[in-house]
Amino acid sequence: MSHDDGTEYVLDIQGVSKRYGATTALDDVSLRIIPGEFLTLLGPSGSGKTTLLRLIIGFDTPTSGRILLNGDDISLLPPGERGIGMVFQNYALFPHMTVAQNIAYGLRLRKWPRRRRDERVDEMLQLMRLGDYGGRAITALSGGQQQRVALARALAYDPKILIMDEPLGALDRELRLQMEEEIRRIHRDLGTTFIYVTHDQQEALALSDRIAIMRGGDIVGVGSPEELFYRPRSAFVARFFANSNVLPAEVLSTDGASARVTVGGSEVDCAVHGSLESAQRALAVRRRILARKKVTPSLRVEGEVAETLLFGDEREVVVRTEQFGRVTALMEARTTTDIAVGQRIELFAPAGELVLVEDDRGES
Amino acid sequence: MTATTRRTRLFDRLTRVAGAVVLVLILGFLLLPPLFVGVLSFANQEHFGFPPQEWGFRQYIEIGDSPAWGRAVLYSIGLAVPVAVLSVLIVVPAVLAIERSKLPGRRGIQAAGMSSLIIPIVAYAVAMYGVYAEVGLLGSYLGLVLANTILAIPFVLVTAGAALSQIPPDLELAAMTFGASRFRAWWQITLPLLLPAIFAGSLLAFVTSFDEAVFINFLGGAGQVTLPKAIFDSVRIGVDPVITAISTIFMVATSALMYLVARLRRR
Repeated sequence: MSHDDGTEYVLDIQGVSKRYGATTALDDVSLRIIPGEFLTLLGPSGSGKTTLLRLIIGFDTPTSGRILLNGDDISLLPPGERGIGMVFQNYALFPHMTVAQNIAYGLRLRKWPRRRRDERVDEMLQLMRLGDYGGRAITALSGGQQQRVALARALAYDPKILIMDEPLGALDRELRLQMEEEIRRIHRDLGTTFIYVTHDQQEALALSDRIAIMRGGDIVGVGSPEELFYRPRSAFVARFFANSNVLPAEVLSTDGASARVTVGGSEVDCAVHGSLESAQRALAVRRRILARKKVTPSLRVEGEVAETLLFGDEREVVVRTEQFGRVTALMEARTTTDIAVGQRIELFAPAGELVLVEDDRGES
Repeated sequence: MTATTRRTRLFDRLTRVAGAVVLVLILGFLLLPPLFVGVLSFANQEHFGFPPQEWGFRQYIEIGDSPAWGRAVLYSIGLAVPVAVLSVLIVVPAVLAIERSKLPGRRGIQAAGMSSLIIPIVAYAVAMYGVYAEVGLLGSYLGLVLANTILAIPFVLVTAGAALSQIPPDLELAAMTFGASRFRAWWQITLPLLLPAIFAGSLLAFVTSFDEAVFINFLGGAGQVTLPKAIFDSVRIGVDPVITAISTIFMVATSALMYLVARLRRR
């Protein structure tokens, strides 16, 4: 189980592919998950995150590759023998059972003695702050409460890993933020390894220790939220995860950590994080670094305001430029009250915040 | 208001009135005959005549006096109960295979199950007569149970199928993550949730068999007298007003069962 760098992995996904007939849902995916971490699989629909989840839990078996749980190959084991818990998208609570019966279901199948079962159910009800809800019918609960019962049921038998499949999708915004906090707390309290699946980058950002970004059946970026947000390696990650502007760029010179590039006819210095694979390069410009205050050195963006959208404290300003096409900036709303659609605007992005990435936008 | 909008409004109102009239006519056409039979059943007379001279419960008393009607009802129930049980036992596994498995040809099972609803019943009866004559099931109790089960299956299939498609497959997957086998998940999770629909379907099967009047004439033998057959026979000999009472009881009982089915399906 011990690997070259001394880390033990609770889950080790080794070169896993899944094909359905002629379509490849997962293409040679590898991912190692550290015990106790909160890892999020993030990707748009059709990116393969659900397929990967189904392989980990055991609803499907890989076409090739293998999945190790604490060093044992579980690729072909039925779901119930893997010791992995799962929270389903719409909770999948058993409507003909009470809250307590739902939580106890897995314990009953595992033949826990009655006394121990009841104790565990009480414990889970306390942990989920469901107090004396044990005797209630599932249908009498709110969405947030059902969510807690689903968590309690999946965690009751102390699984080695808990998988959550877009568990907050059905909740309204306020409840979602509340549940995000709850999930963080439960993860801290239990120390169980969590694998969380979502298409919502805000959720991924708020919850995760690490995020694996998926696209077209492949993992295209793995890292902490900070790494992926501030130091992306690819245009897809920069755009999907941070909504960054991606501008095609050509490298003039590089020394590994930084590079001098031409972008839209102007020359600018930018940061480089790690080695980049493909030959195509682009410059990732986060929306928030664009401002009207002139700084040097910087990338200058000039054009006509095409659209403004108020988000509250921030305002998104879309600028139509001759040099780069459409560029989106996110600015403090108070400083933007004078910006109107149709007017000319000049924005600056400090060179230190520009990131050179590989331009993978053309790939599927 | 312009003349055009006024004309449009008038037209709208006329359409609504015309719609109401048509609806009343259709309902009348559907409901008047049974209503008429119901009213006539309370006429004290030995032969049909309208309007009746005297009202009372003579026809109902008549039923009690002639044991043949009671025997026919019992024989019909004796057919309908095993038909209901048998069609549920066949349909529930079939519907799980159709809705929940990747079994090749599962749509074929569905179509085969529904076929008795599509094929004209007389044609079906003729075909069954040929088959039964070959295998020696003519005039047998088993033969009637099997034939009526074929008629009842589509109703159970539709009721149970609709209910099953409302139960998320994720419930079974969830049970499986806790160590349940697929069959255990069906037994402990899906079947209890399907129970109201199964019961509704079995009532429909019961009523279908109880109402059956064509197969019995082709496939039934001497002494196999169901209630519909008894009614037929009595009309063939001469119209005895007792059948108005029989029919009324028959209709009320069937309606009550159908109401129960509707209640069960709404849950």
